[in-house]
Order: sequence, then C-alpha cells, then structure tokens
Amino acid sequence: MKAFRIVPQFLPNILNPNLFPITFPKPLHIPVFLSPLSSTISTFRSVFSSSSSTPSMAESGNLTPFDGTLGTQFESFRTQLDETSNLRERIRNVALEIESVTRIMHANLLLVHQSRPVSEVLEKAKSQIGPLKEHFNRLAEIIRDCPGQYYRYHNDWKNETQTVVSLLAFMHWLETGNLLLHPEAQEKLGLNTPDFGLDVEDYLVGICFMSNELPRYVINRVTYGDYDSPRKVLNFLTDLHAAFRMLNLRNDFLRKKFDGMKYDLKRVEEVFYDVKIRGLIDNEDSKGDQGSKEQP
Amino acid sequence: MYAATTIQKLALMASKPKSSRLHNLAGARWESVAKKPRMMTTNASISDSFSKYAEYLNNLNEKRERVVKASRDITMNSKKVIFQVHRIGKHNKDEVLEKAEKDLQAVRDQHVSRLVKELNGTDFWKLRRAYSPGVQEYVEAATFCKFCRTGTLLNLDEINATFLHLCDSSIEPLQINILDYLLGLADLTGELMRLAISRISDGELDFADKICRFVRDLHRELTIIVPNMDESHDMKFKMETMLQSVMKIENGQVCFYFLFVLDIELLFFVACFSVHVRGSEYIPMLGVNDPSYTLMGVPDMEL
Repeated sequence: MKAFRIVPQFLPNILNPNLFPITFPKPLHIPVFLSPLSSTISTFRSVFSSSSSTPSMAESGNLTPFDGTLGTQFESFRTQLDETSNLRERIRNVALEIESVTRIMHANLLLVHQSRPVSEVLEKAKSQIGPLKEHFNRLAEIIRDCPGQYYRYHNDWKNETQTVVSLLAFMHWLETGNLLLHPEAQEKLGLNTPDFGLDVEDYLVGICFMSNELPRYVINRVTYGDYDSPRKVLNFLTDLHAAFRMLNLRNDFLRKKFDGMKYDLKRVEEVFYDVKIRGLIDNEDSKGDQGSKEQP
Repeated sequence: MYAATTIQKLALMASKPKSSRLHNLAGARWESVAKKPRMMTTNASISDSFSKYAEYLNNLNEKRERVVKASRDITMNSKKVIFQVHRIGKHNKDEVLEKAEKDLQAVRDQHVSRLVKELNGTDFWKLRRAYSPGVQEYVEAATFCKFCRTGTLLNLDEINATFLHLCDSSIEPLQINILDYLLGLADLTGELMRLAISRISDGELDFADKICRFVRDLHRELTIIVPNMDESHDMKFKMETMLQSVMKIENGQVCFYFLFVLDIELLFFVACFSVHVRGSEYIPMLGVNDPSYTLMGVPDMEL
C-alpha cells in the first residue's frame, strides 16, 4: 500500500517520454489510472475521461475500431429494450387499475362479516366483475402483440390476479357453497384465449388466500347467530385442504400459503367445536353428520 | 371430538401412498355426504380438478428439473471451453482455438440440444430462471472464442443461428433472449480481463490493448442499455464488476509500461503496485508469502 502511494508521486519526475522505446499514451494518463484505485465512485468519471482519450491510443495502434460492429447491434438492443419497457409501463398501468377495482370489490365483500344479507353483498361485489373483465381483456390485448412472452411480464400482474381469484372464489363459495374451479375462474375473467390464460399457480395461490378469509367469516356468522355455518365451512375447508394435499409442491410461495391453510382449518375446527359443545347446533342435522363422519 | 377424528384421518391418509390416498379420499367423502347431493358434486369435482392441477404441477416441475440439469451441464462445459481459450499463448493460438471451438460445438450438440427439446412456446420465459445461468455461460464462452479468433463481438443473431440446426423444424428452436445475452457479455469482460493480464505478462501488448478497447466499448454500450433491462438489478451489479475489469486491464497496461521502460530499481515498487492492482487474482500468492511472483514472471523476457 505504501509503495502504491509513492509511485504516482515520483514517477512523473522520472518518466521522460523520450526514453520510451514503444509508443506510450500521454504520461498524463498515469495519474488518471492510479488515482481511482481506492474508490469506485470516483472512478466513474476518470474512466470515462480516459475512454474519451481512446483516439490517442487508436492513433498509436493500427487496430480497427470496434464501434461499427458493436454499435449496430446495441442500437437495435436499445430500441428493443425501449419497446419492452414501454410495454411494461402499459401493463403496470392496467395492473394498477385492476388493483383499485379489487380493492373496491374487497371492501364490498367485507360487509359479509357484518351480517348483511349475502345476496345484497354479492350484488354489490359482482358489479365490479365487469370492469375487471375489461381490464383483463386489455392485458390480453397487450400480450397478444408479443406472443410467447406471457411469462416475461407475468410478474407485473401476478399479485393482482391472485387477489382477484381469491375474491371471486369467495363470492362463488358464498353463492353456491362450491369451490370456484380454474376453468370457471378463467371464464369469469373472460380469459379464454390461448395466449392469455389464468396461470394455474396463481389460481391456487388465490384459493389459499380465500381460505384465510374463512375463519373470520365463521366467527362472525356465529356471533350473529348462524350456528350452522361452522359445519358448512369446516366441510368445505377440509375438502379443500385434502385436495391441496394431492399436489406435489415445490418450496415456493404456493407451498408457504398451503402450509398456512391448516391454521385456517384449525381455527374453523375450534369454532365448530365450541358451537357444538354448547349444544348450539341443530341436533338432528349434526347427528346425521356425526354418524356418517365416524363410519369410515 | 370431530376435530380429533379429522386430524387422525388426515394423519392416516398422509401415511398412505399417494394414489391410494387419493382414492380413499374420494371414496370416504362420497359416503359421508351421500345425503347432500350438492356437496357430493363439489367433492367429486374438487378432487377431479385438483388431480389435473397435480398433473400440471408435476409435469412442470419435472420439466424444470430437466432444464436445470441441462443448464448445469452447459455451464460446466462452457467453463471448460473458457479455460481452454485461456491456454492461448504466442504461438499456439490456432491450435488452442480450434480445440475450444470443437468443444463448444460439443456443448451445443450434447447439452444445448437438450434444452431445445424441453422448451417451447411460453416455456422460454416461464422457465427462464432455470436455464438462464447455463445460457449466460454459453454466451460467455462463445463470444470469448469468437473474440480471440477475430477480435469482434459475436452477435446475438449469430449465436441463435448456430442453434437452428439442433432440432428438426417441428420444434420451436431455442432463441437466446437479449437479457441472457447481455448478462453473458457482462461476464465476458471478466474473462477478457484475465486474458489481457496474462497477455500483458506474456508481452503481447497489442493484443492486450485490443482487448482493453473492446472491453471499454462494451462497457460504454452497456451503460446506455442497462437501465432499460427487465430486471436490471443483476446487471447493475455486473456493471460494477465490469468497470473494475476495465480498470484492471488499464492498470495492467500502465504497469507494463513502467516495467518496460524503467530500470530495475523501480521494479520493486511497480511489482508491489501491480500486486495491489491485481490483488484479487493474486491473493493466494500473497497468502503463501510469495509476492515476487509477478516480479519474476513479467520482466524476464522483455528486460
């Protein structure tokens, strides 16, 4: 380190350009090269200043410049990358709009916890499906222009889509008591084109999100005197959990969400247990249910 | 009570093999809810569709695994090609490069072709993370070979053209995307830096100078492009490294000029300096208390 410091100080005195047997770029370069070694930030300018002096080097050498060949390719890269970033910008804008629609939808749907009639809640929430469909169509149109690149931009709408799926699935469950299946979800969003579908993993993550909503729903239903709902939800969630166990998951986000599902199941089980032990459930129905449960 | 039975049942199911569990599950559900026709359809359709999802996920994961393996083989063999190119010297250029090119061809035929078979349609982007490292390494090796041969940059289109014959026309050919190509180029500068340093110490100054200007050009061009890249984080990091490579070559050249011109008294300082400059490569040497390595190696032939 010491030696390194000394060099630049005395070299300029010793160096005499006339002594050089080979062509040497101006001695002026030396401090430029030496000074920036200690920090990267300060180097930025100095390297540029040295690269601006490239012509002096080119004069000394007889080598062909590379700019010609490099330039054309990089020029086209630049335009291509500009295009993709424009495209991404457009996609992000649509994704933002999807996000704001889902927020409204979610807010509407939250009323279900306040014991509003389900039909009323659903009607309000459903009014947002139209705009959602529209936005997803716009996404599909944008992606149609770059076939095969769905997954290049997928990250930009992935989270939003997962939330959408969870809300739609929750609504569907409230309405029918069934799980919203993947093709049904696609249909609801109008995503039937081959270039733009609903990614299965997004769908599954969305379903996991939905299961997070159920324990709270059950507790609130029971608070408002609907003692039958724990059994219904428990059956549904048990089936769902069992179905998820059929999947061989990687150690990824979906796996994590699925691992969380068992806590939802547990909470619902607890509520069901509480309701049951207090004798709040209509006896006849639960007896039949109980009997059949214990048989297998 | 119910909770307990459920958990038991789940535990039981977990211990059975997958297929029988699947079967049991459907069967048990069927019985237990026979009284409620609506639930029955739910269960059947849930497990039906989940077995579809399971199949989809299995296929996807298996494919990803195969792609990762192919990518790893490409990386490993491309690295060998790069090492082969580094064996270049003053007199064996053609011979070394010929072998390197042959090896590169083998990488294409044996390993890249495996990738080609796996990927089609949206897979190129879906599984990009799985194959990107291999492809980057390949780009690095291919451009490195080409630069040593002709002193020019191997274009993306030229690389992609070499992949066309790897499959028959029924399969969509593998086309490297810009991002992987650029990431590969960023790595290339590291190799070029090593090559330049070894060329300097071998006395091939012209070649080193050529490399230096090439790397500078590359760095400058990339500086403009990087902010627009898809996930520019990786690339920004690589740009830092690249800049350091440029500087190392420049400093290496300066070192050589000192060595070349100045008398022996200075040598000690210069050697220390060059050890400092190229510290990252020579740390092992310093570790065994042999800082004179560069001092011995460099000046012998020229002074």
